[in-house]
Amino acid sequence: MVVLLISLNFNTAIMKNKKLKILIAFFGLIIFNSCENDLPRMAEFTSIEFTGLDENGGTWTPILLASSSQVVVSAPSAVKSPEYQAELAALKSATQSLSGSQVEAVQYWTNNPIIRWNEIALELATKYNLIPGPNPDGTYTLPNSANPAGPPPFPFAHPPYTCRMLAYLSVAQFDGLITAWHYKYTYNRPATYVTDASISYAYAKNTLPSYPSEGAVIAVVSRDILTAMFPLEKDYLAAKAEEHLGSLVWSGSNVQSDITAGEYIGTEVKKVVLARASTDGMKNAQTPKAKSDSIAAAAFARFGWKWENMETPQRPVGLTPLFGKVKMWNVPTVEEVRPGIPPAPGSAELEKDAQELQDFAKNLTEKQRKIANWWSDGLNTYTPPGHWNRLAKDYIIKYEMNPLRSARTFAYLNQAIMDAGISCWDAKYYYYYPRPIQVIPGFKTILGTPNFPSYTSGHSTFSAAAAEVLSYIFPAEASYCNEWAREAAESRIYGGIHYRFDAELGLDQGKKVAEYTVNKAKLDKAD
Amino acid sequence: MKKYLQLMLCMSVLFVGRVTLAQTPADAIMMKQREICFALSYDHGTWDHYWEGPDLRVNGNIGTLTRNTTAPMVAYGIINKLNVLLSTPYVQTKSSGGQLAGVKGFQDISVALKYEAFNRKVGKGKLLLLPVGAFATPMTNYLSDYQPYSLGLGTTEWTLRGIVQYELDKGPYVRGSVAHLWRGQTEVERDFYYNNGSYYTTFMDVPNAWNYQGTLGAWLLDYSLQVEATYFVMNSTSGDDIRAYNSPQPTNKVEFSQVSFFAHYYFKNFERIKGLGVMGYYSQMLDEGRNMGKFTNIGGGFTYQFKF
Repeated sequence: MVVLLISLNFNTAIMKNKKLKILIAFFGLIIFNSCENDLPRMAEFTSIEFTGLDENGGTWTPILLASSSQVVVSAPSAVKSPEYQAELAALKSATQSLSGSQVEAVQYWTNNPIIRWNEIALELATKYNLIPGPNPDGTYTLPNSANPAGPPPFPFAHPPYTCRMLAYLSVAQFDGLITAWHYKYTYNRPATYVTDASISYAYAKNTLPSYPSEGAVIAVVSRDILTAMFPLEKDYLAAKAEEHLGSLVWSGSNVQSDITAGEYIGTEVKKVVLARASTDGMKNAQTPKAKSDSIAAAAFARFGWKWENMETPQRPVGLTPLFGKVKMWNVPTVEEVRPGIPPAPGSAELEKDAQELQDFAKNLTEKQRKIANWWSDGLNTYTPPGHWNRLAKDYIIKYEMNPLRSARTFAYLNQAIMDAGISCWDAKYYYYYPRPIQVIPGFKTILGTPNFPSYTSGHSTFSAAAAEVLSYIFPAEASYCNEWAREAAESRIYGGIHYRFDAELGLDQGKKVAEYTVNKAKLDKAD
Repeated sequence: MKKYLQLMLCMSVLFVGRVTLAQTPADAIMMKQREICFALSYDHGTWDHYWEGPDLRVNGNIGTLTRNTTAPMVAYGIINKLNVLLSTPYVQTKSSGGQLAGVKGFQDISVALKYEAFNRKVGKGKLLLLPVGAFATPMTNYLSDYQPYSLGLGTTEWTLRGIVQYELDKGPYVRGSVAHLWRGQTEVERDFYYNNGSYYTTFMDVPNAWNYQGTLGAWLLDYSLQVEATYFVMNSTSGDDIRAYNSPQPTNKVEFSQVSFFAHYYFKNFERIKGLGVMGYYSQMLDEGRNMGKFTNIGGGFTYQFKF
């Protein structure tokens, strides 16, 4: 286009009036160019026609609840009762004159709000994934849950924090929905639009009983788990939940008693889930310097090497040294999945892998650079656990899962990812292995080196675990998932921040850890 | 005399070396038909402080950032009143601190058309009005999402500029220009990012910008030496701030102002090297800015002009 314009000018420049026209055309193109497409902010869909309703979902085994009837929900009023008829009339009236923002809310939340709450969780993970910078005197202040406003604000949503946040969120959603399904098919209150065909329902119709409201369960557990994880977002999350609960009415999905029962389930389930979270050991994961030094000294005594943070000013403590001691979901002891000893610095084996990194740094192809950046998932992103949630979300939409099955997918995915994170961190701080920038003099990288030891690679471990669970749930996609996990592992080598053995043993470790979760999932009666 | 003035067109790409990619010809000099001019300039820019949002700060993991730009340029007089300029800078970046690798390569190719719309004697001097249109687009597949090391913003950029100059017959002149820069989207190597909320795409919107320049200049030594002092402002019209202790990204709202001093000498009295000129400059950003390294630039180069 540019060339064309120039040549036009050459040919017509002699004639003054034509010249002017060309100039006008040139500037007109500038205006044209300024119109840009809107960029997507979320998965774009408004309704899913579910592939199945999982009518036996109430018989599935919950993760933390003893059974699907642990939370007791009383029977709803009968369909023909005046109370219910009054509720239906109120619903019908509420759906008849929606405001523009109510219509938008209905389209946004859809009939699978698990998707939206997962997106909200990933957005908050990204928003809070900022590492605290140094104070003017060169010291660092760590985020403190007792003073969330900071500075720095709480939390720093790094990969261990985010994988744990996602695990509790999706376990709470899953246990809440198993409970809801149990009562839906116990009491069998028909969908609003089945009882009253004149009620306009916003989504694809089905025969799922409406009491208790699955949407209300999801809204309440999601709001409350995320508020516990991101205390500064309390008001934002309350507004989101309020809009979500409102959309259940505006879409014609639920009468008020459906919603109240769903909210009750959500409130009871979140108590059980947060009770586990408060005692899982996470509060000890970020250790004081003395403890951190003793962990480093123990590794040095054991192996003769010691990772060091290479930032300026140096960070005195690595990221969550005791995350490896956090309670696992499905692996009895973290030691049974700990990988073997890595090659010693100075050994021929290490030299070979270090040389490979230097070779990549010198001759990185554009494809390799893209892979490194594609899976970078560092600061200011949703982290590798978030990346795999996003991939799972796309499959959930593709395979048109109902909310219960969506929650199950995320619940097992995120348990495996968190177990993988715990196992990886156990290895990182047990072996305390130095990063390439510490071992290779003058080495420069295209990715930032994180503030924790090298062996094994978190990306590799998280990704292999995620791929293992997704391959079980979406067998037709297994080869893609495994390929992506391998690519995610390789990406750290291209980026110069992990040795090949970090990546390969990390992949093995993640797969092994996730097998425990998959074996458990196979027994929950959903298959 | 006029012949030598035409040489000055070569100065047009002086500011290419800035990370802001201000490649717009902003002077008031026109080349005659079939005159061609080649220029080669070198710019050395450094900063050890940068604005995170509006706050000026240091970062031990960057230390001093260096950005060196070599900019070949060619200008051609299509007719006396319409000139075309082409430029393609080669950029190298590195930092003294931290472990991140610098990058190097050709940045964007830019083409500009400058039209002399008005040139009349007014009082004791002459008044010139020149509209300029410019287009720039990446020459190579460099990564814009690797700031502050990136070679450029990785997007197309259309510029529309208006230049007004009043020049006294004795040599001093004053010049002002206003430009609007329309930037497109840049493709990055990830499909999720944060810009005051989530974005699920590999494209980032790069903010448009306004540029203002005011120059006082003079001709000395019988039109052999030109000197100028310029005040330069660049303001994005939208965009987000760099987040706390985080990397910049192409979506950021960039604002800065800068003063620069520039001189250009022509060997017009040396028959064997007639047509040759040398130039040099120094520029410094002022204390108020946003999402930008506080650059100091020093640079220079050669110009050579002849009839085509």
